[in-house]
Amino acid sequence: MTKPRRATAARIGEAALPALTVVVVLAVWELLVRFHGIAPIYLPAPSSIAVYLWRMIADGSLAFHLGATLIRIFVGFAVASLAGIVMGLAMGMSRRVARVADIWIAALYPLPKISLIPLLIIWLGTGEAYKIMLSAITAFFPVVISTYSGIRQVDRGLVKAAEDLGANWRQIQLKVIIPAAIPSIFAGLQLGMGVTIIMVVAAEMIGGSGRSGMGYLLISSGQVMETEKVFASLIVMAVMGALIMKSQQWLDRRLAPWAVQGDGR
Amino acid sequence: MDVVAENVSQVWGADGPHPVVALESFSHRFRSGRFSCLLGPSGCGKSTLAQIVGGLEAATGGSIRIEDPARPGSPRPLGADSVMMWQGLNLFPWRSVIDNVAFGLEMRGVPRAERYAKARALIASVGLAGFEHHRPAQLSGGMRQRVALARALIMERPILLMDEPFAALDAQTKIVMQEELLRIFDATRKTILFVTHAIDEAILLGDEVIVMTARPGRVKEVIPIDLPRPRSLDIVNTKEFGALFDRTFHLIREEVTKAMAQQAEMVGGA
Repeated sequence: MTKPRRATAARIGEAALPALTVVVVLAVWELLVRFHGIAPIYLPAPSSIAVYLWRMIADGSLAFHLGATLIRIFVGFAVASLAGIVMGLAMGMSRRVARVADIWIAALYPLPKISLIPLLIIWLGTGEAYKIMLSAITAFFPVVISTYSGIRQVDRGLVKAAEDLGANWRQIQLKVIIPAAIPSIFAGLQLGMGVTIIMVVAAEMIGGSGRSGMGYLLISSGQVMETEKVFASLIVMAVMGALIMKSQQWLDRRLAPWAVQGDGR
Repeated sequence: MDVVAENVSQVWGADGPHPVVALESFSHRFRSGRFSCLLGPSGCGKSTLAQIVGGLEAATGGSIRIEDPARPGSPRPLGADSVMMWQGLNLFPWRSVIDNVAFGLEMRGVPRAERYAKARALIASVGLAGFEHHRPAQLSGGMRQRVALARALIMERPILLMDEPFAALDAQTKIVMQEELLRIFDATRKTILFVTHAIDEAILLGDEVIVMTARPGRVKEVIPIDLPRPRSLDIVNTKEFGALFDRTFHLIREEVTKAMAQQAEMVGGA
């Protein structure tokens, strides 16, 4: 009787441990700020951050900024994925395309994309096009590289088997090579999503006009030393990022269950 | 369909500094409706030969002809009459069992309802009814083997090429699959080229065992297996089987020793 109960208790303890560390850190933080008299512009108490967060939710400003950022992320990601997948497939199917594209990728991929900000602003202005292009260009590279390497690493045995079963070149591309490359393409899309989030927020912080987005909220709060708002924005962005990445992983598993590691073939 | 191999040779890396001769003037006529087993040490080019016959690999020398014995003199294109069952199976991991089995018909443009009906019947005949919508990863090794077999059989090709298909199976599953293959052979009388390195398997299944030399692979000796059909695993205990086993074993032992010396040399030289 006692054994299973103890096992259950242990399991609950195991699950509660991460949450417990959060509670402890927040409590220590709160007590430190309260009883050591740290000025809120340096380190506001968790309770006052929560109050600010609630106010931002209540007056609709959070929804406004978060919405603007999310739209930019999804548009930038859509542009990057489409261009990256198409380019990666073209490279995988044609040696000539691969050879030409390869030097461009080799030259542009290591370039820090933030260094493109001055050029992009000169070309596109400081509006939506700039923010979306900066994130799309950044995300394009991991997508195109993963797609191309995914196609190159397709098991030759599968291609031979398809050939033996009467598939022609077009059928081999569509029915074997692309599906076999999907795990790798999805991995590229996950990397791409990560950098899209980073670059959209960066563009909102640096050089962007429009007074909207989480990056703008963060930097404008910082400039007037509303440290509570800075913290509140950071928390929102952390949760936003985690939710986007987790739902992408969930979606990938639904769409390509064979690709999940440990499921093998 | 007869498969006629004449002086077939295969050299890997012929332009490089260390060309490897996998096959050297391999000649043999695989007769229509017979079960031929290619037996040899690893590296003797027996898998390569199967792929050359299937039109999946080009030989560097010699020729392979596929001949209809009723119409000699008008050879058929390589690959058109054969289908391969692979050592690694090469099932498509993203496709369900039924879509793996129906793959060849799909490529041929057979409508979905028709190809599914055929695939379903074949899946049932290899004992996998109810697993049509599982993915290969959800099946055991023996079940995957049956999927690969059904995927080959659905093509209805007169020549079946089998490249060590049962090598990775556990002993019990292997026995079941061998008996299944004997049953299929008795029912269809296809021309089968079966690549193996297991002596007992070759004798149990084949009408003839072609013993190959160590690399470069050549025909060392062709042993006719006159054991009566239909066969079952019981023949393994007969005196005739034992005699054939001994004879084959002595032929192959020499070659395996040679192959091992070659491998040791390669490792030492590297």
